[in-house]
Amino acid sequence: MTTRPPTLRDKRRYLLVRIEPAGIPFDQKELYYAIADSITSLFGDAAAAIMIQAVVAAEGDYIFIRCRRGTERELAIALSTITSCRETRIVLRIIAASGTLESLRERIHTMNVPEPTAVVQGDVTFDKKTHTSVYCNGQKVDVIEKGFKNTHRLFLTSEDMETS
Amino acid sequence: MKITDAAVFPYPKGDTSVRRFALEAGALGFDSLVAIDTPSATYGDVEVRSGIIFHDIPVRDIVNHMKRYRGTDAVISVKAGDAGFNRAVIGVKGIHVLRSIHMADKKGFDHVSAKMAADNNVAVDIDLSVLTLARGIARQRAIARYRDVLVLEQRFEFPLTLSTYARSVLDLRAVREFTGLCSLLDMDISSVEKSLAGVGAVLTPPAPAVRVIT
Repeated sequence: MTTRPPTLRDKRRYLLVRIEPAGIPFDQKELYYAIADSITSLFGDAAAAIMIQAVVAAEGDYIFIRCRRGTERELAIALSTITSCRETRIVLRIIAASGTLESLRERIHTMNVPEPTAVVQGDVTFDKKTHTSVYCNGQKVDVIEKGFKNTHRLFLTSEDMETS
Repeated sequence: MKITDAAVFPYPKGDTSVRRFALEAGALGFDSLVAIDTPSATYGDVEVRSGIIFHDIPVRDIVNHMKRYRGTDAVISVKAGDAGFNRAVIGVKGIHVLRSIHMADKKGFDHVSAKMAADNNVAVDIDLSVLTLARGIARQRAIARYRDVLVLEQRFEFPLTLSTYARSVLDLRAVREFTGLCSLLDMDISSVEKSLAGVGAVLTPPAPAVRVIT
């Protein structure tokens, strides 16, 4: 099948989405299925067929999701109902929508100004328990309790460390 | 007008400290939070209000417990039950919010309760976590119940509040996402804005209809 001329193609929109918690590994295909599932469960197969969403690219903690123009609002609602991807708890934060991937990439570069990060390295104490810090950005500190049984992530700030 | 998430559960009930909740809520566009069983404080630009939820206890015990919180700035909530229970707690002085309407009896919140809620300035809470976490029939039932409540709200104009019931920072949603999720309940932007300011509305005593000037 030959490629249609630009005037006959579907108009698309791209959503820039950040995955939280930061630094977790994710599979683009698994994420696609999670999004497709949430759209279908919320709006049904007919709406999903109109949206034709796809996870087109991923850069670090950011992903680019494509949809048909005019359906980005429904897609955004469906994205806000995603709470996990293959047993891993995640949340998708919508950053921006655009007609081109290029402008979204530029947006990422303008956003990635490093915040002054609190120096939290190695073991930290919170609630009289020893934790290992796994992520620091600005005042945000994510920790995991030490010990092989508990791998639950706690979301704290650098001030929580100091006061504990 | 303060944009408020009407219920979050910080550590130890959840996995996120109250400071982190405040930090993230500020980034997501909120001015204040109601943190359950947490003392009031202000972190950065975000005000954290203390919240209390009474659930599965009779009205008599609620009245007794209320004495402890009289004069505090805590947001007092009660989990909804059957029609008689709901009418009784709406009438109790000092109750601010009636929660979990979607889990209560189908006829638990009727036009009489709605009128009482409007008269006593008691808000009805809309739990958005059921829209994000539930799937299938559970979510359909919750949407239907909330749509039913919103019909009564348009008629009687009682206050509404919106909550994420976040136990983690991953459960928090941005103000824009609130608007999107509420559109599933047929709420327009102006009613979402009004509901986001609902906590402030129930805590502020209503202005008297008649002012006596001496």
